[in-house]
Amino acid sequence: MPNERVLVVDDEQPIRRFLRVALTSQAYTVIEVGLGQEALSIVASQKPDIIILDLGLPDMDGIEVTRLLREWTKIPIIILSVRGSERDKIAALDAGADDYLIKPFGVGELLARLRVAIRRSLQKGNEPIFANSNLIVDLSKRLVTISGQEVQLTPNEYDLLRVLVNDAGKVLTHRHLLRAVWGAEYGDESHMLHVNISNLRRKIESDPSRPQLIITEPGVGYRLKTE
Amino acid sequence: MEQIRKISKTLVVNWKGYIFGLGLTVLCTLIGRLLILFFAPANVIMVFLLCVTVTAIFWGLGPSIFVSVLSVLAFDFFLVPPYFTFAVADTQYIFTFTVLLLVGIVISYLTAKIQEQTKESKQQERETAILYSLSRNLNVTAGLDDTLKTITRGIHETFGCNTLILLSDSLNSEKFISQRENQSFTIDEGELKSAVLSIQNQETTGQKPDMLQYKKARYVPLKTSRGMIGIMVLQSLDTPKDWTAEQTRLLKVFAGLAAVAIEHIQLAEKAKNAQILEATEKLQTALLNSISHDLRTPLVSVIGVLSSLQEKDISLDDEAKRNLIQVAREEAERLNHLITNLLDVSRVESGTIKMSRQLFDVQDLVGTALEQMGGRARTHQININVPIELPLVFVDFGLIVQTLVNVLDNAQKYSPADSPIDIKARQTGHEVYIEIADHGVGIPSQDLLHVFDKFYRIQRPDNVAGTGLGLSICKGIVEAHDGKITAENRTGGGTVIRLVLPVSDPSKSAEEKADA
Repeated sequence: MPNERVLVVDDEQPIRRFLRVALTSQAYTVIEVGLGQEALSIVASQKPDIIILDLGLPDMDGIEVTRLLREWTKIPIIILSVRGSERDKIAALDAGADDYLIKPFGVGELLARLRVAIRRSLQKGNEPIFANSNLIVDLSKRLVTISGQEVQLTPNEYDLLRVLVNDAGKVLTHRHLLRAVWGAEYGDESHMLHVNISNLRRKIESDPSRPQLIITEPGVGYRLKTE
Repeated sequence: MEQIRKISKTLVVNWKGYIFGLGLTVLCTLIGRLLILFFAPANVIMVFLLCVTVTAIFWGLGPSIFVSVLSVLAFDFFLVPPYFTFAVADTQYIFTFTVLLLVGIVISYLTAKIQEQTKESKQQERETAILYSLSRNLNVTAGLDDTLKTITRGIHETFGCNTLILLSDSLNSEKFISQRENQSFTIDEGELKSAVLSIQNQETTGQKPDMLQYKKARYVPLKTSRGMIGIMVLQSLDTPKDWTAEQTRLLKVFAGLAAVAIEHIQLAEKAKNAQILEATEKLQTALLNSISHDLRTPLVSVIGVLSSLQEKDISLDDEAKRNLIQVAREEAERLNHLITNLLDVSRVESGTIKMSRQLFDVQDLVGTALEQMGGRARTHQININVPIELPLVFVDFGLIVQTLVNVLDNAQKYSPADSPIDIKARQTGHEVYIEIADHGVGIPSQDLLHVFDKFYRIQRPDNVAGTGLGLSICKGIVEAHDGKITAENRTGGGTVIRLVLPVSDPSKSAEEKADA
């Protein structure tokens, strides 16, 4: 059971209450604050393991909080917000947030994202081997297998998968993926990304129209599922 | 008085007519000299009467009277013995002279009068034609701007003036409506202000406001039975000339017609606005009724479940608890979905949806829609047929996913559990068709066209919950993409909803670049 300390930043009492119940039941230690300024000072003084951050805080915007934190710490940040537009999501992720959940959300989903984010933050370097269901990616050998069968990927498909594996569990924006695989000058050529994602899914997903490994974050980007 | 002034004016002006009359009299005298050899002098007089009539026809009253007098003198001098003197041998000729003079004057007067009348009726005919054409043009105008343009054009054609029409609501705020055709119009602001003031003064003091003629322009009040509705400013294209009385009168009639037309349009627009307002209010009431019912229904279940879990006296086994919680969860999700739809409806309607269109894979769209439906999609078997070679579609990902979720939601709600739902995509020309077909109850054929209308719900006995918003949002979204959405019944039962979405420029095929 985990024993990480979670900082919950939200000005809504009822939400903080139910988050406390849900998180303590999973043996997390919960610190609650209602303001962005409080959050900034508590992160500095108490060094929690992860932050659950609301965007609509009374004193400052959550994206600004994220930006200020990212100037000095890599602490994982999960955004919780009623703002569901793609623009807001991309802004938060670009500011350095690790994940983004839209309110209302299921506690199960939140706990899963929390586990992934904490695990990622604890990893020292990149693991050479990624495994989920039948898929095994061995970056050191440049080998991709499904149920033990080697999968033939084009260079771009492999690079794409490698970038996803390196940040497995994290939402990677279209622009981030394009830059990482094709280079900075391809930042807007998103159709290349979508075509390669489809091709990749056809090769590694058991049902490409209901993907279980490469998850679409609508209008934002893609995420490789880790569990 | 005016008649006399007019006559005296024509008497002076027609100097050409006098010369013509003089010449004609000389000619008649020569002819008379010949005729006197064969006829009695009384018959020769006829020649002079002819001469008077001709002059009257061509030159009007003055010259013809002049010719009458001249004829008498010439007749006396040349044709009545003793010749070449005004002395008369036979006194009966005094009578002849008098009658000749009187007849000449009467003929002159009558002929001139007839001429005058002909001229007037011609003028009237022209005016009638102008006014008729104006009122006909005003009848077919669409909207105030069009009416003002028609008036401006009419004045331009008839009076050769540029026109500016100031309506009374803009008079007060000193904002002036100017027509596009009058870019050359230069307003003398000081003159305009004083004209407007003086016309307004006339109106408030109970006088009938009248046309004003200033240095640079004419100011014509637009009056109707309800009062003054504006002012027309006319500026001559060339150097301003004095207007004839007819022109002034015609302009006033013109202004009257224009005023009535403008008022008519203004009243019609007011009525239309009132109608729109009423329709909006009706819609809002319907929306409020529908929403308050639909928002409360899920809450009934949620509160019911939670209160039964809280109640100490109710003992529930784990299975029952799980069931209850499942119900509450599903209802809460439904509420969330409803709120999303309501927000979208207002965004689609207010046009604030900001689309960010890119090329996306249809398979990804469908997969994400199913993912978002979560548990709701699990009641049915879903068959997906998206060909690998299908091109990407140029859409806003989130909005099209939302459309698919709404359509799939309906398919799921209106078809029996465990019946399959088929999602098929294919390319036709530069478009991609996505068809979602269920094996449900279908849509009555008279409702097929209306299912995309807002708040339209098919009356069914089974009473499935819904607001009638889902498909109208879909329509709004798809049409914003220059696409189409249609509903039809499937042979063998069920509904097919078809989305037609544009494929972007095929020359920029992404397939080619995929491994570039």
